[in-house]
Amino acid sequence: MGRKILLEKTGIENINTYEVYRREGGYSAVEKALKKMTPEEVVEEVKKSGLRGRGGAGFPAGMKWSFIAKPEGVPRYLLCNADESEPGTFKDRFLMEKIPHLLIEGMILSSYALGCNTSYIYIRGEYMWILRILEKALEEARQNGWLGKNILKSGYDLEIYVSPGAGAYICGEETALIESLEGKRGNPRMKPPFPAVKGLWQSPTVVNNVETISSVVSIVNNGGEQYASIGLGKSTGTKLISACGNIRKPGVYEIELGISVEEFLYSDEYCGGINNGKRLKACIPGGSSVPILPHYLVTKTANGEQRLMTYESLADGGFATGSMLGSGGFIVFDEDQCIVRNTWNFSRFYHHESCGQCSPCREGTGWMDKVLKRIEYGKGNMHDIDLLVSISKNIEGNTICPLGDAAAWPVASAIRHFREEFEWHIKEPVKCLETNYGLVKETELEA
Amino acid sequence: MIKTAFINNIPFNFSEGEMILSFVRKYFEKDYIPTLCDAQNLEPFGSCRVCTVEVALQKNGNTKTVASCHTPVIEGSYIYTHSEKVNKIRKNIVELVLTDHPLDCLTCEVNNNCELQTVAAKVGIRDVRYPEGKNHFDRKKDLSHPFMTSDLAKCINCFRCIRACDEVQGEMVLSMAGRGFDSQIIKSNNNNFFESDCVSCGACAQACPTSAISDVFESKSVIYDKKVRTVCTYCGVGCNLDVAVSNGNVKSIQAPYDAEVNNGHTCIKGRFAFTFYNHPDRLKTPLIRKNGELTPATWDEAYDFIAEKINEIKSKYGPDYISGISSARCTNEENYFMQKLFRAVIGTNNIDSCARVCHSPTATGMQRTFGTGAATNSIDEINNTDLILVTGANPTNAHPVTGAKLKQFAMKKPMIVIDPRKTELARYAKYHLQLKPGTNVAVLNMMLYYIVEEGLEDIEFIKNRTEGYDEFKNHILNQNINELEKISGVNKELVKQAAIAYAKAEKAMSFHGLGVTEHLQGTYSVMLLSDLAMITGNIGKKGVGVNPLRGQNNVQGAADMGCQPHQGAGYLDFTKPEIHNLYEEFYGVKLSQKIGYKIPEMFEAMVEGKLKAMILMGEDVVQTDPNSNFVIEALSKLELLVVNEIFMTETAKMAHVILPASSFLEKSGTFTNGERRIQRVNAVVDPIEGTKPDGQIVIDIINKLGYKQADYNPETALEEISKIVPFFAGVKWNELGINGKQWPVMPDGSDTKILHKETFKRGKGKFQTATWHESPEITENKKDFPYILTTNRELEHYNSGTMTRRTNISQIVPDDVLLINPVDAKKHFIAEGDMVCVMSVRGKIDVKAHITDEVEPGILSSTFHFPLVKMNVLTSEISDTEALCPEYKVVSVNIRKSKGVYQNV
Repeated sequence: MGRKILLEKTGIENINTYEVYRREGGYSAVEKALKKMTPEEVVEEVKKSGLRGRGGAGFPAGMKWSFIAKPEGVPRYLLCNADESEPGTFKDRFLMEKIPHLLIEGMILSSYALGCNTSYIYIRGEYMWILRILEKALEEARQNGWLGKNILKSGYDLEIYVSPGAGAYICGEETALIESLEGKRGNPRMKPPFPAVKGLWQSPTVVNNVETISSVVSIVNNGGEQYASIGLGKSTGTKLISACGNIRKPGVYEIELGISVEEFLYSDEYCGGINNGKRLKACIPGGSSVPILPHYLVTKTANGEQRLMTYESLADGGFATGSMLGSGGFIVFDEDQCIVRNTWNFSRFYHHESCGQCSPCREGTGWMDKVLKRIEYGKGNMHDIDLLVSISKNIEGNTICPLGDAAAWPVASAIRHFREEFEWHIKEPVKCLETNYGLVKETELEA
Repeated sequence: MIKTAFINNIPFNFSEGEMILSFVRKYFEKDYIPTLCDAQNLEPFGSCRVCTVEVALQKNGNTKTVASCHTPVIEGSYIYTHSEKVNKIRKNIVELVLTDHPLDCLTCEVNNNCELQTVAAKVGIRDVRYPEGKNHFDRKKDLSHPFMTSDLAKCINCFRCIRACDEVQGEMVLSMAGRGFDSQIIKSNNNNFFESDCVSCGACAQACPTSAISDVFESKSVIYDKKVRTVCTYCGVGCNLDVAVSNGNVKSIQAPYDAEVNNGHTCIKGRFAFTFYNHPDRLKTPLIRKNGELTPATWDEAYDFIAEKINEIKSKYGPDYISGISSARCTNEENYFMQKLFRAVIGTNNIDSCARVCHSPTATGMQRTFGTGAATNSIDEINNTDLILVTGANPTNAHPVTGAKLKQFAMKKPMIVIDPRKTELARYAKYHLQLKPGTNVAVLNMMLYYIVEEGLEDIEFIKNRTEGYDEFKNHILNQNINELEKISGVNKELVKQAAIAYAKAEKAMSFHGLGVTEHLQGTYSVMLLSDLAMITGNIGKKGVGVNPLRGQNNVQGAADMGCQPHQGAGYLDFTKPEIHNLYEEFYGVKLSQKIGYKIPEMFEAMVEGKLKAMILMGEDVVQTDPNSNFVIEALSKLELLVVNEIFMTETAKMAHVILPASSFLEKSGTFTNGERRIQRVNAVVDPIEGTKPDGQIVIDIINKLGYKQADYNPETALEEISKIVPFFAGVKWNELGINGKQWPVMPDGSDTKILHKETFKRGKGKFQTATWHESPEITENKKDFPYILTTNRELEHYNSGTMTRRTNISQIVPDDVLLINPVDAKKHFIAEGDMVCVMSVRGKIDVKAHITDEVEPGILSSTFHFPLVKMNVLTSEISDTEALCPEYKVVSVNIRKSKGVYQNV
């Protein structure tokens, strides 16, 4: 059994209530930090821990914190990004639902470290029931003196507010999140200036993922070095993985970074192997935006080394033969799944979610959707495949925010690894119907 | 520090923080890197990605593609603007954009003038590889508005219109609705242009790269023979205009980006209100009153009639029985000749101009404190200041381009607004001191009191640059603050906060308008504003000063040219013998040394029989001067009333002779804007047949009266002016350039942005004191007329509306309305749109009610743009005690619901 940090106590009955959470040692990190540590010392521990952003990009959290500008007389803000909308990713939901006080405790610690007196949890609008859970937990924390003025008589004041999004994936991008929180249309901002210099209300701002912030609790309690001792190399600590697709045991798992993909995919402690005795066809290890891996690159890298659940190993081979750990949305496809249809499905999603600001993304996502749909319906031609590659290259790196990249990578990698399947859809549209490639009748799809 | 980066392997210098696009544009042509979402008066936006370039940190290093418009240049980096990769990206992006853009170029409004078309050609699009899919070609055109149009099927989502609306005008009417492919431009709450909050400034249409947003004149793409750069004839901002002319007709107007005054922006009036110029109502022949009827005559008949009458009156009563009012709408040269006609030819100083009824207290007040009655600084210094004080001005309506700049400022930095109305700026301002009309002196004294009390004076500045401070301080500290609080109705704590903010700001700039001057104590209020600037050291550097927002395009110039009865051209005091001699020598004739009548005194003199003749150059005194009935009575006593006009105004209807004049589009000369900037007005079209420029008319009369004066020519006129007006010494017609020069212009041609830098014009700045007095208008009438009416302007119309009412603006604002607080409306059972009878001791009028919280209970507000309403029947003849500027801003009235029915003109 791997060590659990975030999900350690989720099995305890009523851990979502303040009484139980406190009884089980909750908020002791806040006591420790506010009574015995300076904000700089908290930052230092987080730096030592090697904790990396769990939202997807994997940027070292301590370093991000140290970038925050500290101009005189200007407030600073911590924003918790709980706008978890990446297809295949549902780990933050689980954490907030099961143990909301862990996030709040992490928010208090992080806000203290950054010198923020007002912090926000920006949660996706579809998580309305979790918003209520968080609001209840915040109220409990407030009543018990963990929020408000002069917390633990330390002279430190903090208020935390929860603010719901309104159904836009783009608002999970940090600058769009800031715009949305300010009450504006969720269009990403140009960088520079970065949020650490000019973020919410033009003030220095740090945006961190739910899991990142929650991990700070253990780091403060047990020290950064202890956290760094878990994991492998620069992938320290534990990571929540939301596993789904054709596996026997879909769900949210906490892994020690560094276990092998094979163990994660096949051991009974985690996914428990492919469902119904089928064979593995492909896997997307980090949420819909990251490149898809064909079965022969899932457990082994192109060099034949064992593929590990770390930021580095999953990216081994670059975009040619690797992928990314991303947000930890682990999507598994068995041999019956149609890659074209799945790629089209993702493209449809990105088309729907593009904010419309940058022309390559606004128009390009639409055309990828349209062209993929055509191929899936058996009406494509061979040029379409090159057209898709051309569009994806055109979007990638040419937009203000990473949504463009996120839309381009799945298409590019699917064609890279499954080009034959695309060609086959075009060449043999009728045959597709009879096989496990899953080409279906137009009428069925539109129903 | 100079840094170097490489463009296509050639080293160039850049400055820290510069973006790649502007760096490249500095050394190559403007469209070297093609762009779609970039526009020259907007912030970088980075959405079209067409400006993408490749950047490597070292030679032959790995490159990254970045949007050049918003990526800062890195020292020593290698920028590749046209690499194969970049060219391909550009082509592909434009191709994608074209998939949702109708390719009906040949019949498109902007064919050949379309930025998308140009960029598509430049990146080499030959075909669109995408099959026909879902598009937005079926979006309906919006033709609801008299000026603005939209055809959003042509929209390429570049956000330029939205950004123009936000960043240039600050109106935030346009926005993007929907997401991704469904994104589309909406106006207000998805209204059409007419129903939206659009102020018709046209910035969006000018910014749009296609024909998605345009205007009815098709300004972007109109086919023209020539474009003429001239200066707007409406307010004192002095916007430069590019006027397109075809076959001798004005087709459209755009705002040039290289104009220092307006930087590619202008307002509804400047851009769209030009169609009056060839309106069928234009006067096209001289008219002489015969047997009570105005009958057509030739120019010679008219001139003979005038000359004969003038000579007759002059010999019968003397030259001082003749008077003139010049026009702040006319050029400097025309004003100069007008005063020369009176001084040198007729032999009287009875010459005034409409500066009298607007900013004469500013001139008088600032002459007493600083020595010069003109704006001390320039408008563009709004970008260099930390706090702005706006007193008695509503620039978003009356000076729209400056108003937009001030609004942008108020959204970012602290602003203090002193105004009885909750104006648009007041809504954005950090401090709004909503005082009772007529109590400026009280509030300004309070501010000065708190600055002194808090010890926030700039001791050093006071010691070195000013005089009279001890006496002033003594006076200020003896103010009864509680009493002033009661008088003004403004919470003293709020005044204190504002005063402290003004004093503590490193640089504070002050702007004021007619809400300061058109009062019994107008001059005193101006002097207190000067005191505020002096006590805090806010004079003589960038981003500070006292800056009147001059009302009319050339009201500054009319006074500069000597159209005032107590000073000659160049503000020289002719009562001094040496000045008198100088003028006599210059004009070569004997001159009068007797100070003439100011405008209000002229009407009194007429009634008393001391004035028998008047020449009005384009002034509608009946509609615009206070107490209309009195003005009408006065004019009816005249033996000769000559009016130069372009339309039949209420005043012209009373004239004995009407001379048809040319509008600003038909003549050349110079206008001086509110920041002392002398700019060239260039004739765009020939004078409408039958009309003559006012300058020529005046010169014709001069010659008819026996003085030799060459025909009207701005170049030679300026030459003459530069010899007598000291601050015009270096002004030459051919050297004014496109952006003009700010006076004083030295003999070597150098001009002056900031006045009073080292010393004040008068040597030391003089602190002046003032004690608040209630206007007799209120003390005498408040029992029967308990409401206070204050007059103002609408954005859409200009003054008496002679010009703007003859354009389609009248579809947008068809009449004057009375602003009334809901509390008062309820009290009198007045509903929105009801007719209200407004009564003052002088008369009564009917006007339509508009219920709003813009005014406090007890306060009413209205405009006088429409002759039907006759607002000035109500206003009083009480004037500023020092400069005789009428008190338009405080009128004691009473109201009741009218039995009258609303009539649309």
